[in-house]
Amino acid sequence: MNNVRIYLFATLRDYAGVRTLELEIPTGMTIAELKVQLVNSFPKLAPVKESMMAAINREYAADAEIVPQEAEIAFFPPVSGG
Amino acid sequence: MDYPTIVSITENVIDIDTLLAQVTLPSTGAAAMFTGLVRESTIRGEPHLTQYLEYEAYQPMAELKMRQIAAEMRQKWPDVEGIAIIQRIGRLYPKTPTVLIVCTAAHRDTGVFEAARYGIDRLKDIVPVWKKEIGPEGEFWIEGHTIPKPGE
Repeated sequence: MNNVRIYLFATLRDYAGVRTLELEIPTGMTIAELKVQLVNSFPKLAPVKESMMAAINREYAADAEIVPQEAEIAFFPPVSGG
Repeated sequence: MDYPTIVSITENVIDIDTLLAQVTLPSTGAAAMFTGLVRESTIRGEPHLTQYLEYEAYQPMAELKMRQIAAEMRQKWPDVEGIAIIQRIGRLYPKTPTVLIVCTAAHRDTGVFEAARYGIDRLKDIVPVWKKEIGPEGEFWIEGHTIPKPGE
């Protein structure tokens, strides 16, 4: 198993109602699979699942990437700074 | 010599004079600066009024991406000397500077204008910062349009 810390930002945090969570996930789980698990835990995230972006250890990550051990994961909507 | 690179996500007022001084070297004779402000009255697109914006950031990743942007600017415009990239977060009211890009160089024909432009465009594309707009109609999150590539 793999213990990961997950951060949610902006709309995602508002919809889920939590800012951070710690999850124990199966070793070898991909970002895509983790998104599915997250939406299952927080159904209000379903409408924004398609635009949900991911970062692994503070770098943008693709859906197919495998979550490394003890990773810092973040999910967030497209950025809008400036 | 090492040129100064300053990146910061901050809740404090952006002190333009101090930042300019920090990226000014004995060899510097030109600085291009861009600052974005909270616009109270939007005309373009869907006209609307803004009471304030609420900014948040994934700070460690944001500062990492700002450093990456500064490195890209130096690679594209090697004559650039100092670079400052500052994003203010928190609740920001109209007429307040929210973001600042400063590029310095020996002369103005060295790419400083282009580098500053690149810096703000890139920041809006890849730096994890979000803003919520609060106006007379209520509040809503503003979402960007760019999907950065993995590792970008």
